[in-house]
This record gives sequence, C-alpha cells and structure tokens, in this order.
Amino acid sequence: MNKPVLEIENLKTCFDTRDGMVTAVDGVSLKVNQGECLGIVGESGSGKSVTFASVMGLVKKPGFIAEGEIRFEGRNLVGLDANEYRNLRGKEIAMTMQDALTALNPAYTVSDQIIEALLEHDETLTGSKRQKFRQARDKAVEMMDLVGIPAAKSRLDDYPHQFSGGMRQRIMIAIALACRPTLLIADEPTTALDVTIQAQVLELIADIQDKLGMSVVLITHDLGVVAEFCDRVIVMYAGQVVESGPTREVIDNPQHPYTQGLLNSIPRLSDLKHRIEPIMGTVPDLIQLSPQCRFLGRCTQSTEACSSSVDMREIGEGRGVRCTLVSPAGEAE
Amino acid sequence: MSAQNAVQPSLFNIGSATGETLLMRNLKLFASSKLSVFFSAITLAFIIMAIAAPLIAPHDPNEADLFLRLLPPAWMEGGEFSYFLGTDALGRDVLSRIIYGSRVSIFIGAAVILVATTIGVLAGLAAGFLRGWVDIGISRLVDILLGFPYLIFAIALIAMTGPGLQNIILALAYKEWVIPCRVVRGETLATANLEYVEAAHALGAGKWYIMLREILPNILSPVMVVSTVRMAHVIILEASLSFLGLGVQPPTASWGSMVADGRSYMLDEWWLSTFPGLAILLLVLSINVVSQGLRDAFDPKFHD
Amino acid sequence: MSLGKLIERLAQLIPVLLGVSVIVFVMMLATPGDPVDIMLGDQQVTAEIEQALRHDMGLDLPAHERFIKFVGNALTGNFGLSYYHRQPVMSVIASRLPATIELSLVALIFALVVSIPLGVLAAVKKNSILDRIATVSSLFGVSLPGFWFGILLIMFFAVNLHILPVSGRAGFGSEVEPITHLLLIDSLLRGRFDAFSDALSHIILPAITLGLPMASILMRVTRTSMLDVLDRDYITFAEAKGLSRTKILIKHALKNALIPTVTVAAIETGSLLGGNMVVETVFGWPGLGRLVVESIFVRNYPLIQAAVLFYAVTYVLLNFVADILYTVLNPRVKL
Repeated sequence: MNKPVLEIENLKTCFDTRDGMVTAVDGVSLKVNQGECLGIVGESGSGKSVTFASVMGLVKKPGFIAEGEIRFEGRNLVGLDANEYRNLRGKEIAMTMQDALTALNPAYTVSDQIIEALLEHDETLTGSKRQKFRQARDKAVEMMDLVGIPAAKSRLDDYPHQFSGGMRQRIMIAIALACRPTLLIADEPTTALDVTIQAQVLELIADIQDKLGMSVVLITHDLGVVAEFCDRVIVMYAGQVVESGPTREVIDNPQHPYTQGLLNSIPRLSDLKHRIEPIMGTVPDLIQLSPQCRFLGRCTQSTEACSSSVDMREIGEGRGVRCTLVSPAGEAE
Repeated sequence: MSAQNAVQPSLFNIGSATGETLLMRNLKLFASSKLSVFFSAITLAFIIMAIAAPLIAPHDPNEADLFLRLLPPAWMEGGEFSYFLGTDALGRDVLSRIIYGSRVSIFIGAAVILVATTIGVLAGLAAGFLRGWVDIGISRLVDILLGFPYLIFAIALIAMTGPGLQNIILALAYKEWVIPCRVVRGETLATANLEYVEAAHALGAGKWYIMLREILPNILSPVMVVSTVRMAHVIILEASLSFLGLGVQPPTASWGSMVADGRSYMLDEWWLSTFPGLAILLLVLSINVVSQGLRDAFDPKFHD
Repeated sequence: MSLGKLIERLAQLIPVLLGVSVIVFVMMLATPGDPVDIMLGDQQVTAEIEQALRHDMGLDLPAHERFIKFVGNALTGNFGLSYYHRQPVMSVIASRLPATIELSLVALIFALVVSIPLGVLAAVKKNSILDRIATVSSLFGVSLPGFWFGILLIMFFAVNLHILPVSGRAGFGSEVEPITHLLLIDSLLRGRFDAFSDALSHIILPAITLGLPMASILMRVTRTSMLDVLDRDYITFAEAKGLSRTKILIKHALKNALIPTVTVAAIETGSLLGGNMVVETVFGWPGLGRLVVESIFVRNYPLIQAAVLFYAVTYVLLNFVADILYTVLNPRVKL
C-alpha cells in the first residue's frame, strides 16, 4: 500500500554561473509514499525548490542535473525525452507556485487557464473540438467548486487580478488538480497569504488529498505548516537533507542542531518567558563548498568530527539525520 | 523614449566600497565596452574633423572648376588622387565638401541639443518642483507641442521664417526641448518628495538652492543619456531638411543638400549622393552606439 | 469599456486640439506676406475691391475673432483657396491624401510583418547569431537617413537592375476605376492583376524606405518585451502544466509581449506622417507630403496651414488610439 510514488536518489543539480559552479542540490535522496503528505522544510537557498524543479524537468540553463536518479512510479525521469516529460507534467505530476498573481497569465481568464490544462491532458473528453471545449468548461466549474470558489459559474470569465490572493491560490490549485495528478508539488502555497487564508488553503489541500488519494509534497519554510498537515518531513539545508522522518518524531525529538535551532526560533504562545534563540551566522556559499558539515560555523554543538564530510545516518524506520552527534544506533551522544 | 522613473542616486555620491563617485564608476563601465570606446573615437574623429576642417580639407569646398566637373573617385578610371572622392557638377571637391559639411551637421546638432536641453531642464525643474500653475501650464504646452509630428512642425516654422542656419536651429529646438523637459519633470517629481529634500527645506534652504544643489545632480545622468540619443536624431532631421532644400542654403556644403544635388546624377555619377550619405550614416551610427553604451553603463538595473 | 468612458476620454483631447489650432493660427498670423497681396499676385485692383476681399477673408477682424472664424471654417473643411492650384485647399488635399494613406499603410504592414517575428525569434534565441544580427540591423535601421537609403534603393533596383520603377505611383495603362482610392485594393477588386502588380512594384521601395526605421524600433521593443515576458512566472507555470514550447510561446507569451509593440506602433505611425514628406519627395510619390514640400517653395500658405493642422489632428488621434489599444489589450488596466 505504501509504495513510493516518487524516489529521488543522490540528486545533484548544479548551475554553471558567471561566478562559478553553484551546487544547489548536493546528493539529495528522499521518498514520497503513496497517499502521504511530505513536507520539505528549509530556508531560501536550501535547495528545496530546485530539487522539485529537477523532478519536474524545469531546471533551465545554466542549471543541469549532474548526477542521480529521479524515479516516478518506477520510471527514471532524468534524461527523459522532452515530449514524454510534457505528458507527465500537468497530468501525472502537477506543481503550484508561490505567488498566484504572477503564476497566472494576466491576459487570460481563469476558466481559460483551467480549460487549457484539461484540453491538453484529459483523455475523458470526447467528440468534436467544440464539444470537448464545452465538457472542459463544465469540468472547470466543477474544479472551481471543488477548491471552494464561491459562485464559480459566474466567475468563469473573470481575470486573475479580479480575485483575492487566497482565491487565486485556489485557482492555481484547481488548475494543478484538473487532470487528477498522482503527485502534487505545492511550492510555498501559503507564503504569500494572510495567516487565516493560509489555514483555509492548507485544509483544502488536505481535504482534496483525502478525496483523491493523491500524494502531496509541501515545500515551505514554515515548520508550523508542516506540523499540522504533513505525515513526514524532510529538513534541508544548503543543498542537503539534514534530517528526515515522521513529523511527530522530528518535531518532538529533533536530532539535527539545525532542526533544533528552527524549532527554538519559533515564538511560543504557551511559554511567554521562553527566549527566542535565533540561529547565528549565515548560509554557506554554495560555490565554494568544502567537504565538511555545512552547518559548521553556526552549530553550537560542533566537534572535530564535523570538519570532514558527514553522511546521512539512519536512526530508525524512515528516520535519518546528517550529523556526527548521532550514531546509527539511534542515540544522540 | 521612455523616461526612467527609478530615482537615480546622485552621480557625485562617493561609493563606500571604492571611494570613487558613481560618475567615475559608470564611466569606467562605459569604457570597458570595446564597441563604446571604438565608436566614441569615431564620433570624436568627426568632431575634430569639423573643427579642423580648414586644415584638413584638401580643397576649398566652394571652389568651382568647371573643367574638373564630375570626376569619379580616385580609385576609378578617370579619377584623380587630389580629388579623392571625385567632384560634383560644379567641379567642387566632394571630400572637402564632406569635411566642411560635418561642421554644419555637428554644429546644428550640438546647438539644437544645447538650447533644447537648457530650456527643457529649466522648464522640467520648474514644473516638477514648483507644481501648481507652473506645472499645469508647462505640461499643457508640452502636450500640445507633442501633438505635432516632428518634421511637420519644423517645416512649418521654416516655411514661416525662411531657411537659414539660425532658423533651422530654432525650428528644431522649438520641438526638441519638450523631450528633456518631460524626462526632467519626471525625475524631479520623483526626487522632490524624497526626505532629504524635505530635510534641506526644513533647514531653511531656499527653493532655488534646493533645485540646484539637491535635485540637479540627480537628473544629470538621464538627461545625458537622452541628449546623446536625441543628438543623433537631430542630425538626421537637419540632413532631411537640407535634402528638401529647407536647410542651410547653398553654397554652404551640407550633407543633406549634397545628397539632393547628386540625385540627378544617380545614373552615372553615383558617388555624388553616396558618400555624403555614408558620412551621415557613420556619424549617426556612432552616436547611437555611444548613447546605447551610456544607457547601459548608467542604468542602475544593468549592473548590480 | 463603456461608450461613456470613451467619449469622456475623447473630450480630454479637445484642449489639446484647441491648443494645436491656436499654434497653427499663430503660425498663420506670423507668416510674412499679406494674403490678399499674394492672392492677387500681379493683378491690379482698386482699393475698394481690395478692402472687400479683406473683409471677405476676415482679415480686418481682431485676432480672436479671426481665430473663431478659423476654427469654424476648419470644422467644416473650409480652408480657403490654394494659391497655386486655384482650387479649394480641401479638395486639393483630398485628392492627394489616398496616396499618402496607402503608402503609410503598406509601410506599417511591412514594419509589423518584419519586426514582430524577428523580435520574437531574437528573444527566444537570445545572444545567438540571429539575435546579434537583428540587434545590429535595428541599430542601422534607425541610423540610416531615409532619403539616402531611398536613393540607394532606386540606384540599385531601378537604375542598375531595372526590376523596379524609378518613381511614381503607377505607370501608364494602370488606371483603375477608384473605389477605395487605394490602388492596391482597387486593382484587386476590379480584377486588374496587371494594374495590381504595377502598383505593387511602385510601392515596394518607398514603403520599405518609410517603414524601415519603424521596423527597427518595433523589433527592439518586441525583443525586449518578449525577453521580459519569458522570464515571468506564468511561463514557468504553463510549462509545469505540460504545454508544448510552441504553444506557450504563441498563446501565453505573445499576447502579453505584444502589448508594448502595438502601443509603440500606434504612436510611431504618427512619425510615419513626418517621414512621408521625405520619402514622397525621393520617390516622386504623389501624396500629401510632397504636396506640402512643394507648397513651401511656392509660398502656398493656406495649403501648408491646412496640412499642418490635418497632420497634427491625425497625430493626436493616433496617440489616443494607442491609449485605447493599451487598455483593451491589457485587462488589468481600466479606462
């Protein structure tokens, strides 16, 4: 039942820039299981978005996939033919972006953009072009209803700018889900929204996930979001996975100093006396990477062992940490 | 031409990193482009040619020798080395006339731009800073003047006043000032509301002082870029007017009128129209490349 | 966009149009030479007749009343008599107008057809050889003096190669019963393919000369705009939807990218009007532009004023059309 829908193995994605070779994703491995919601947490520059841009095959020059495999339902996507990739995108794997205002084409109506996805991929449409169009238009209304756009039918021919931020994000989700994809990659779906709207959108995604049995990857920098909605979580830092595991476990018992730092920097309503501890220092330069722990320099628990390359260590079922403080047996020192 | 709406930092600000003013840094950036440098040199060459015309020209441009009329260029059969580019219908040396013609083009171009920029900057500053009736009046005038296609307006003015050096400069300047005015007004509007201007005001600085010390340095770079772009345009306009016979009158050599004169001899004596036109093309092209380079060097978005 | 709003916008043009008429009127006043004297020429008439003429032409009225008369006349198309042609100015202009309109239209079409695909390709293949050639060409295009280029074209194609005519709008035997007064269209409508090809061969060189600067500008605008659009998120999102590259280009990118192109084109069409005079003179094209130039040399002031007013009004209207076009094409901007 829990067969992985997506498997990424040792993915390395680089960008050949004027200033040097940037290794945005360095040896990332992860799995998304069928029907689960995987959260990817990391700050800007952690490589979380590039990882999934690689999955979608949307990494543009000067970026390229240097190493690794990406297996979707068993099929390797790295080096896939452009045409075949197009058959996957929007149909089997769908993606939403952070800012719905810029992601939707301002020159076309929302129904137009939903219908476009349907006409491209939906094989259940039959008949002549006009008939297919009508069917797609009906489906578009269904989708808009599904994502909770009030009075959907009357808003079919409205333009993106005529909707509020939350509505636009929903429309983007509607477009992504129109063809019932197996996997939805939601890149920062709530970052551009107000807090109250955030909750609505996330519940929508969780709801649809239940209904359609879809697998979801939720990319975010907000641990709070992950805590509520994700079954498992992956923490990324400077192009590497530093911690992974079931959400509950990672949040209750974070093993990597970075994860610990993230959790400590969240203000807590319940404990007003608790001082927020920011993580000192900055992210390392991704061009000049030395073989050592990338968190070195910001870590308060570092030792000599941290100056050499650190691997992911399994400390339990689906639970891993990239830290010298953790031995594979499972106990922190 | 779109005005840059982003507020420019003052060119005279000294950057903390390198200790040089923004002006120096942008100039260095400009100089780093080989194309810009090359075409700047060509432009300079033209200017020098214009200034030193009496020294460089092999012959008197107005010296007519009917025995030597319609000589081909030196490398063709029948041509003579001392009349390198041939002679025209009156036996005047084409090369000398081209050299002297550069005076007309460059002088008129520079004069028009100078006059137009001065008026335009003052008007734009006044409109943008003083606002109120001054702004409304000037903006209305700008709108109305913009309602005329360029050449039509100039031609109409010349029809009224008659051709001649002064009249051409005025005719072109009447429409041209509108362009720097718009740019300056936009920049002034953007800058005048900035806090440091308010601070100066609070410190008791008078209006004129503020306009000159605080705002003027900021508008320099867009004005400079626009002026060079327009200069190329004005030179073509002047040449067009001369071509139509509405420019400087004979016997003064002007590239435009030379092309016009050569028209009747298109069949056999192609060089009469070709070379003056080439001169125009080369000068205008050089100015355009230089202005493009300036635009790129001074555009804050281009380098970060 | 409602009709009411449109009319409101149109009304905003009135002050500008009024200002333009004032300027033309002032030009008229400042023109040397007494209109009556010029009109009479060498004829000798009595002082009474001269006075009557003056009165007829409203020359004895104070300036502001003359202005009102001028505007009133202008609105009814009465611009007085053309000194040179001994005909009403309006009819002279009307007879030459179609030639100019046809030339401008063909030049515009040429500019659009050349610049848009080139601009799109240059953007898609940024920094390729094609891109560099296009950029350099456009730089040349704006640096070329039109009159010189036209002469070169004539020298090359007409004089040397003999494949195109030297000047004029049509050869002998190509007369066609006018419907639209546009030769190219009329000859097709009348099924006269010989007249059509004749008209075409005559219009090619002048149209290219006239349209080249505009094509250069439009190519750059299109290229810049396209580059900007291709960078946008909605293009990435369209790719994520699995659409083909061509489809994304044509459907998503182009519609947004062409907005600046179209608006600039509308504005630049106005400068085509200015370019007309030079090109028409070089190619002996029987249009309004050449008429104006000729009129200057014979001091045919009524005609010059009428033409200037006509050009200015057209120019203002074109800018207006550009504004409207922009709001139509860009759903985000409301009128």
